[in-house]
Amino acid sequence: TTSQLSSVPLQILFYVNGFYYIFYFLATLAMIIYKSQVFSYPDFFLAPDLALLCIMAILEALRLYLGSKGNLTEEEAPLGLSLALTVGSVILSVYFLTWQTYVLRADVVINALLLFTYGLEAVLQVLAIAAFV
Amino acid sequence: PPETRATAWEPIRRGPAPLTDAARLCVCDLLVAQCDVNCCCDPDCSAAEFSLFTTCSVPVVTGDSRLCSQKAAVYSLDVEANPPERVMKLIDQVNPSLFCIHATNYKQALSFRPPEMPTSENFDQLLKKFGSATFSAEPDSWGMNSDAPNPSDANETYRYEHGVPIQTVDAFLRLPSPVVSSWCSDANPAGFLVHQATKCTRPVSVEECGSIQAVSMLFYINSSILAVPKSSQMVNITVQSVALQSLNGTQTLLRSSNVLRHPMILDGLCINIVLGVSYHITYTDTGEITEAAASFVLGAIDREALSIRQSFEISFTQVNTNPVPLSGNPGYVAGLPVRAGFKPQGYPFPTAVLLSALSTNRYGQLTILQSTASQDCLMAQEARTPVLFGYDMISGCKLRITAAMKCQPLTQALLDLLKGQSFPEYVASFGNSQAQDVLDWVPIIHLHTSEQGSCQIPVALEIEVKWTKYGSLVNPQARIVNVTATTTATTLKQLPLGRERTIPITTSVVFTDVSSPAEPGYKAWPTINAKLPHDFFFPFV
Repeated sequence: TTSQLSSVPLQILFYVNGFYYIFYFLATLAMIIYKSQVFSYPDFFLAPDLALLCIMAILEALRLYLGSKGNLTEEEAPLGLSLALTVGSVILSVYFLTWQTYVLRADVVINALLLFTYGLEAVLQVLAIAAFV
Repeated sequence: PPETRATAWEPIRRGPAPLTDAARLCVCDLLVAQCDVNCCCDPDCSAAEFSLFTTCSVPVVTGDSRLCSQKAAVYSLDVEANPPERVMKLIDQVNPSLFCIHATNYKQALSFRPPEMPTSENFDQLLKKFGSATFSAEPDSWGMNSDAPNPSDANETYRYEHGVPIQTVDAFLRLPSPVVSSWCSDANPAGFLVHQATKCTRPVSVEECGSIQAVSMLFYINSSILAVPKSSQMVNITVQSVALQSLNGTQTLLRSSNVLRHPMILDGLCINIVLGVSYHITYTDTGEITEAAASFVLGAIDREALSIRQSFEISFTQVNTNPVPLSGNPGYVAGLPVRAGFKPQGYPFPTAVLLSALSTNRYGQLTILQSTASQDCLMAQEARTPVLFGYDMISGCKLRITAAMKCQPLTQALLDLLKGQSFPEYVASFGNSQAQDVLDWVPIIHLHTSEQGSCQIPVALEIEVKWTKYGSLVNPQARIVNVTATTTATTLKQLPLGRERTIPITTSVVFTDVSSPAEPGYKAWPTINAKLPHDFFFPFV
């Protein structure tokens, strides 16, 4: 039987991840703006946080695109690249969880959720690569 | 050298670290090593003292309330126990907000920035930033320019403003004045456009005649005045007039006033010492001084004199103006001189003329004879006093008539004495009457009363000034409406040889109020001016 090798749960996860990431990006940006007004947030600390958020957004877009393409075309290469980028995203998410200048409770919540999603995606990507190979 | 090496290794000093332990913080602990009343967190209090408290003034001590979880120390008094005791509990306070601070990676986030400790490197910068009354926001950029002169000031022109001391080459133009006692102090500067007149006492003696600087003319005109502040343009002080005052008080104006007279000893007197200086400064409307002149009164002291009284005055005139001091605006003010003048021949307008000269600068005043101590008419020359509005005056002298006096010269001399050298023809109606307004001047009416006889000599002059209140009820202005000068003459009887007669000569001024009773005038009732337009009833009319 010619069953499809593309992983449906992975695709669903990519789709949901896309929407969730848009929400995550806007929420983190809004909270950085809030922190800069309410707390003492010197430019020396504000600039790296904003830069890393932008890098994370670009990385996330690329990762979702490659992963989705690899999964749908059943090719290992883009999926492998996406897995590598997932590692980068995980590191950035851990940064926003623990090494940010101010970590609010809301930051902890959304970052934890993002890390959980990444973890699940990584497992499913590994399984998908194993299935394609 | 060992000292510099030691400073190179000196660690950077910081202030005390902020205290953030809730268990050790106590806001109400104000007295050191003593128990504060009702302060439950005070470590200096013993249990016995806690039992005497009524409440806890500080019940909870926490850190920053925005943290998600923090330690809080709760103090309370347990009044049930006997004796009452203080209860301290350290609890974890949890902030339920979603946006509470879970963690920070920025050390100074939750406490105020400690101030910079001054060291030898940053002391100058800190002094520039915090050393003045206001803290400068940009210390670095200002620090570089503060030493160089500001280039924008170079183009700014300086000028004198009201009250600014008049600067001379070395210091300020001095107007000696009494400070605490009546002794002269030379440190009083003359202010621009500030009219000052001071009198003070200066210790002098004949022996120190030449050595006291402040009694010599040179002291007062020595330094030149700067035309504008901080400039190099100088104005020399010229000598306008010099009057010599003799020991008995009579003053004579000197013809040649260019010569500088120094104090010197002559016949046991010290002459040419300065008794009075009057500065006249001319200025432009841009605050620049163009001329400066000084009028001196020089006098003499004898051996018994220990001090002299000096008087100083300064007045300011704008260039190209000839100010006439007003005696009221518009009505006369009581105590100010009555202004008078002449109508020159062929000229329709009266002009106010200098009536009493000498060293003062009075313009156009009606004057009468001034009584002197000697009371001898023929000796009292040229001493006249101005007639002050509202003040009735009487003055006089005694005339000794001898047989040798002739009628006509005596009459002429007495007329000169009573009326002065130039008796005016017109008197100003208002205190501020201008010379161009003919109608504002009242002519002086002359009357003569005489007796029968061949030789009539004037013995009395009575000036009656009739004035009225003019203008509004609440602020009436005095206005002169009539001036009558009545000369009374008596017959001079021929005296036998060798006999003398003394007759009194009097001058008097009387002010009479001839105002009519005031009638208040009321405004007309307002009328309603309602007129219909002419085509109101159009179709019918």
